[in-house]
Amino acid sequence: MTQRKSLAKRSSAALAEEDDVARFTQPTTSQVQKGLEKLLPAQLNEKTTELVQYFLIKDQKKLPVRRADIVKNVLKEYKNVYPKILERAAQTFEQVFGFEVVEMDTKNPVYILINKLEPAEGAPTRISSSNPKTGLLFVILSVVYMKGGVVREALVWNTLKKMQVDPGEKHQEFGDVKKLVTEEFVRQRYLEYTKIPHTEPIENEFRWGQRAEVEVSKLKILEFLGQLHDQDPQRWIRQYKEATKPTSANTSQPSTSSQR
Amino acid sequence: MKRARSSSDHDTSDGERRGLDQDAGTRESQQDLNDEDDSSHRKEIRSRYRDLISSVQQNREDMLNQHGNKLTEVLYEANTLFKEVHQAREAALDSQLLVVASDLGKEKASQLFSEGLSFDTSAFVQHTLSFMGLNWLEEEEEGGAATTNGFLPQDAWHKLASRAECCFKSTPSFHFMYGLFYAEPPPPKPRVERQRKAPTKEVQRIMPTQLKKMEASHQEATEKEVERIMGCLEHYHTQDPTAPISYYEFVINPDSFSRTVENIFHTSFLIRDGVARMYLDDDKLPCIGLVEDDAPQQEEASVRKQCVVSLSQKTWRELKDAFDITKSMIPPPNTQNE
Repeated sequence: MTQRKSLAKRSSAALAEEDDVARFTQPTTSQVQKGLEKLLPAQLNEKTTELVQYFLIKDQKKLPVRRADIVKNVLKEYKNVYPKILERAAQTFEQVFGFEVVEMDTKNPVYILINKLEPAEGAPTRISSSNPKTGLLFVILSVVYMKGGVVREALVWNTLKKMQVDPGEKHQEFGDVKKLVTEEFVRQRYLEYTKIPHTEPIENEFRWGQRAEVEVSKLKILEFLGQLHDQDPQRWIRQYKEATKPTSANTSQPSTSSQR
Repeated sequence: MKRARSSSDHDTSDGERRGLDQDAGTRESQQDLNDEDDSSHRKEIRSRYRDLISSVQQNREDMLNQHGNKLTEVLYEANTLFKEVHQAREAALDSQLLVVASDLGKEKASQLFSEGLSFDTSAFVQHTLSFMGLNWLEEEEEGGAATTNGFLPQDAWHKLASRAECCFKSTPSFHFMYGLFYAEPPPPKPRVERQRKAPTKEVQRIMPTQLKKMEASHQEATEKEVERIMGCLEHYHTQDPTAPISYYEFVINPDSFSRTVENIFHTSFLIRDGVARMYLDDDKLPCIGLVEDDAPQQEEASVRKQCVVSLSQKTWRELKDAFDITKSMIPPPNTQNE
């Protein structure tokens, strides 16, 4: 009751929103507070653990986790305290795993996990063997980035063909290359694949996906490219400028939605 | 018309484009000179235009990256082709080529003005391939475009991936040590029904035979036992044919009430079949004796009677004490046989 009163004092707008419990968008702070009062700490912990596990399983395939799915499959009747549980899950990821939970798409929110830890010097980078798809992704992302952020698909296919990866043929390592690039990478949000308007026959273009924007370091790509070409990466002036400019949107704000 | 469009389309054109405009002008003057209308000839022109368009589209990236004159060559070829164009259909193809070519020109121009070093995908591919360990078995140079047919080792993409991984802040994915649990629904079991049917048949077939057997064996056992007791009676009779055998002494087994009852039951068969007879002695006590073949009159004279012998645990004990029975006259069947 006291909680309610203080809230009413704080803002009448919040009170008006409070009535709107049935609709699930983002519960208001007051709704969360109200919901939390009814829960035991143990219940909260259990749901948090479930959410962490759900994230880890989903991350196996690098597919982003949709908020709607979290609510439907994990939280269920706890959906009114959703922001709190997500916040705690994000805390667990940060403190236990060194991961960061990143929210994308404000309209239809999805979440991905990003590794916050830099690989230690001299330490073996991976216990498991590397995924060759990363190599393919690197090639495509490099081409897109170096060509100014957007390229026609023909350029990507031609480049891959020269590397003995023909999108029209089954590759022994990647299987159906076209499907991998235009579907799997797109679903994982590494790439965006969109139609170019007014093209006949229809042509598509590639851009960096949202996951690539937060997960892939442009500077490191440039450094690697410099190493490959045996030249100073700073000579790609435009690309270097972009890679070194502070990316406010991606790094500065840890974007768990609960921090409002 | 052609001229107007091309010049308005390309106000910002570089040197190459300006050359194109001039070419278009010469085309127009040439156009009037040729007037023959040969459909097969027109077909040929169209197919050559289409070849040109597709070659530009397919080699787009190479034409952009190489510093060769391929675009100029294409434009010259188009110009010579255009001399023979008289009709709208071919002209449409010509303008289509122009669109493709000007798009290419635009991109080339943008490369010129881009800051710093431009990114050459062909060079990128070659550098990357050699990083991946490409074996340069053969390298062909064709009109400035290098096509590599080298041999890539098996782990080429792994090698690139493990180096490229450091650019990715991706999380290591977690796996179950014992592998995944695939939640598949269990396969349906149609055999449940079969199982239910089969036993019922079996039971129906087996049950009657079992019953028959039991009956047979039971009957056999009774007959055997009756014969055995008959043997006992004969044995005592031959030992002393004159001495009467007390019925109670004969049938009572002092150690077992149930054995006694059985003895009474089996003995009753002997009486019924007429091989033994019961009579009261002088003390009005029942006696049992064999019916002798040489005494038919006696048998005839005797009137058949029925009576019920009742025996309880209590009377059995009293009889035992009264007749002072300590040993059974009829030995138990299992010991007797051996």
